[in-house]
This record gives sequence, C-alpha cells and structure tokens, in this order.
Amino acid sequence: MNQTQKPLRISVGRWLPFWVLLPAMLIIAAIQLYPTIYTILLSLQQIEPGTGRFVFVGVRNFERLLGSVAFVRSLVHTVVFLLGYVVLTLSASFAIALLLRQRLRFTPLYITLLFVPWVISDVVAGAVWRLFVVPDYGLFSPFFANPTLFGEPNGISILTTVPPNQFSPRIPLPPAPALLFLVVASAWKILPFTTLLILGALQTVAQEVQESARIDGASNLQLLRHIILPLIRPMLAVTLFYLILGGINGVGMVFSLTGGGPGTSTEVLSYLLYSIGFSKLDFGLAGALSVFIAMLNFGLIALTLRLSAAYEEH
Amino acid sequence: MGLWLFNGLLIGICAIVFFPIFSTLLLSIKEPQDVRRKPPVLLPCDTESAAFDPRNCRFSLDGYSRVLLLRPNPDSLFGASVTGRLFTQYVPNTLFYATFAAIVTTMLAGLAAYGLSRFRFRGRRLLLTLLLALSGVPLLTMLLALYQMNVRMRQMLPGYEERLFMVIVYVGFELPFAIWVVKGFFDTIPIELEEAAKIDGASPLGALARIVAPLAAPGLVSIFLLTYVNVWNEFIANYLLLGRSELRGAMYGIYEYISQSLSAYNALAAACILVILPVITIFLFTRQAFFRSMLEGAIKG
Repeated sequence: MNQTQKPLRISVGRWLPFWVLLPAMLIIAAIQLYPTIYTILLSLQQIEPGTGRFVFVGVRNFERLLGSVAFVRSLVHTVVFLLGYVVLTLSASFAIALLLRQRLRFTPLYITLLFVPWVISDVVAGAVWRLFVVPDYGLFSPFFANPTLFGEPNGISILTTVPPNQFSPRIPLPPAPALLFLVVASAWKILPFTTLLILGALQTVAQEVQESARIDGASNLQLLRHIILPLIRPMLAVTLFYLILGGINGVGMVFSLTGGGPGTSTEVLSYLLYSIGFSKLDFGLAGALSVFIAMLNFGLIALTLRLSAAYEEH
Repeated sequence: MGLWLFNGLLIGICAIVFFPIFSTLLLSIKEPQDVRRKPPVLLPCDTESAAFDPRNCRFSLDGYSRVLLLRPNPDSLFGASVTGRLFTQYVPNTLFYATFAAIVTTMLAGLAAYGLSRFRFRGRRLLLTLLLALSGVPLLTMLLALYQMNVRMRQMLPGYEERLFMVIVYVGFELPFAIWVVKGFFDTIPIELEEAAKIDGASPLGALARIVAPLAAPGLVSIFLLTYVNVWNEFIANYLLLGRSELRGAMYGIYEYISQSLSAYNALAAACILVILPVITIFLFTRQAFFRSMLEGAIKG
C-alpha cells in the first residue's frame, strides 16, 4: 500500500506535478471545497425580512435548530435507523462472509449473484420494496395488515400506519413499521458491499494461525472470538465507516420508498435537510443542519476508528 | 454433509436476496387485472379450480407498453416509435451525464493520480488527507451551495448550459475516490519502466501515455465503469440541482412514477426493470473490474 518509491528525477518540467493535478483540484475545489465552506458560513446567516439580504446572526440558527420539534424527531428517527441498519447489516454480512469463505465450487457464482443489488440504484431499490407494501396490492400488504400479528392496524398498509408515541409526545418511539421496513430495504441494498469487504478480510486470516489454534484445543466459537475477530477488526472499522456514512447521508431510498411518511415517521435528518433547504427554503437553518450532520458523521467515524484500534495503524 | 449444508444455506440466501428483483420482474409482466388483486398473488397462475396451474399462467407486456408508449410512425425503422418520457427524455439525459462524467473523471483522475504517485512535493500528504476528508462531508450539504451557484450562473451567463454544470458536479463528486483508486494502481507499476523510457528520450507525459496508462488500463477501466454506474444511479443531486424536469435523468423518471402515485404498478415495475437492466449487464460482464476498484478504494479509506 505505502511502497516507498524513489522520487523521479525531475529535469524537464519542475512544475509538471502542479499541472497534472491542477484540473482535478480546480473541479474538486469548486464542487466540494467551496460548497462546504459556503455552507458553514450560511449556517451563521439568515435572510433579513424585507431586504432579502443575508445578515450575520451568530449561532441563532443552531439555537432554532436544537429547539425545534422536527429536529428532535428526525434525530430519533436517524438513531433508530442507524442502529438497526448497522446491527442488521454487520451481522448478516458477517454470517454470509463466513459461509462464502468455505471456498465451495460455486462460491464465485454465489458472490456474483449476491452482488447484484449493489449496482441497483437506491431509488429503484426503494421502488422495488415499496411495491411489496403498497396498500392492498403489495405482496406483503396482507401480512402487515394482519391484526393478530401486529395488533389492530390504524392504517391500510405500513405506508399509512403510525403508532402513537408511547413515552413522550415529542419523541417518536416506538418507531413506525415503515421506518423498520426502510432499515430492511437499506440493509438489502448495502449487504453485498459489506459482505465483500468482510470476506476480503476473512481471507487474509492465515490458515496456519487457525490450525495451530485448533491444535491447542480452541473451539469454533473461541477461534472466532479470539483469533478471527481481532484480526479483521480494522476491516470491520472500514465497513462501519461506510455504513455510518451511507446510513446518515443516504436519502434516495427515503424518497422513493416512503417519501418521509406516513406523517413524518420516516423523516430522517437527511430528509429533513431536504425539506428545510429545498422546500421551505430556510437556507440559514438548512446550513446549521448541514453542519450538524457533518459533525455527526465525523464524530461517529472518529469514535469507530478509536474503538477499533485501527487508529494506531494509520 | 457439511458441504451440502453450506451450499443449501448459500442457495437460500441468494434466493432471498434475489426475491425482490424476481418479484418485480413478475409484477412487470402481469396483466392489469392481476396487478389489482386482493389478496395479491406472486404467480398469476391460478384458475377457478386449482390454486396453481402452470398451463394457465397469464402474462402480458402491458406494463412495458405503458412505459414505452409506442405510437405508429411510418418513418421509423420498426414502424413505431417510443414516446414514453422515460426513454425520450430521462434515459438519454442519463446516458449523456454518465458517459461524459465517466470519461472526464477517468482522464482527470489519471493525471492527478500520476502526479501524486510519481512525484514528491510539499503539501502532497496534506492533499491526500484532504481528498479523504472530503468523502466524510455529506453530499446533501454541498447541494445547497451548488444550487445557488447554478442559479447565479444561469442568470449571469448567456447561453449557459446546465447539462455541462451537472457533468462537472458529478466529476467533482467522483474525483476524490477515483484519484485514490487510480493512485493505488499506479503505485504498483515499477518506476524503472518509466526511467527506461526517459533514457530513450520520452517526456514524462509521453511516459504516462505510452508506458503507465496501458499498464494501469485495468484500473482505469474499472474506475470508468464505477463512475458510469454511480452517475447512472444518482438521483438526489440531479433532482435538486436541475430546475427543469426535461434535463433530469432516469432515476427521476422512476421517482416521477412514484410521486404521481399511479396504481399501474406493473408499469412502475417495468420501468424499474428497464432502468436497471443496463447496469446489471455491465456489472455481470465486467464484475472483476468492479470488485478490484471497490476493494482498492475501500481499503485505502
């Protein structure tokens, strides 16, 4: 990965590295760097009523954001979604990766088949899962509408069912079935990718290490816990990194599967950002929410790296 | 015994994973009256006497004809032309965005990765870290600023082409990851080959074009394909940045079906199948390239 190569002796163009990097860096600066800085500045401003000009308001947008009902609600939705998404995806892909590691004759075929959902867009994946539960005609609709299984429904499908808040009127718990359905659909979409990452890590665990552990009398479970898990921990951190990024920022599937509904029960933070910034056009508040989401990303990723001890390897 | 168990489990998992695609395919070829059945059926093969009779399966291309909206047209090669907006507008737009974004991304990532792989200069590590850090900033965050940028340029520049802006936005989104991946491929090519070429009188860029690029071709191809598929599948930037729907891409076409809440679910299913067919085909024929660049990029991150 980090091979040390002796530097090329530059005689012709001392500025060659500058010129080859320039076009890419200009575009990245315009499309990623500038918007990031712009958003941070935006979060400290508000449109002045009357003049329509942006004026500096300090942290007022952040105060408005943290005090709003919609923000608390969306944060709870995001936390529920993220927990379900990470736990479901990690455990399922770990189990599937352990099976794929057996190097059966058809393993390459299984890998190819399992990988197909990854190239399907999140909008199409959302549409496909939506078709399962559309009122009346979805394949799973009768199952979810079954009162003996799920209690008396208060809607005609999980796309229209919202349970009452049990603990506090402002905290949307228990989550709506649509949010849990969104978790399953999102996990289905990302599963191939995470499975392949974990499989790649499992294949680097040397056979000799496992065999010698076995000779020392380790059981299958001990082998998994004390040998395999610690060895693939860096890759689990990488997987978690992608799950967190995708889980917080992914919004395409919310659009096509539930549209944030029923009511607001699948309105996660990224969907709230869309509705504040692009429907209500409250740019200052949207800027503050953007900054919050970015901090959440970086915070969770830093935590992941620290927990996994992959931090020291960098 | 163990082998059978593993194979059985894996076949079961593949079946579960494939079921959503399979059921969508079935839905897309159902007859309208079978689409609106209560309770719904997976296979429309039941008769009044039997629950399942394979000789009586009813299928139709109604869903596809609703998507394509064929109209008789004597001038066309097949005697009819497609008038459905998905294929007259959205898919051609996506083809444009994906093709140009993939070409430009591959070229610029190739140049930049060459600079980062072969030269040591001040600020190189900082640049690499910055590229990585940018992947942690959510895409939605940038859309606010990009939206304003687009609106302002539309007002100020006469003859401003929004399609080009969209392509540049995609290139900007894809470049950081692409540079990391291509740099990884360049790092594995021994530098001695270039030095030999330089002794023979080649310039650094000549060496890049004639020695390094051909050797890194698998990496460049895989980043081209990955970018192509990513842009093909992209929805949110396309939807939010472009004000007029006739500039938007195929994923917006799917979203339009959903947001209009039509009950012709076989048409929605058919549109989904038609839109994923190209990327699944690309993937099945070039899967090694996908796995390569994906693992390369992921491990670096």
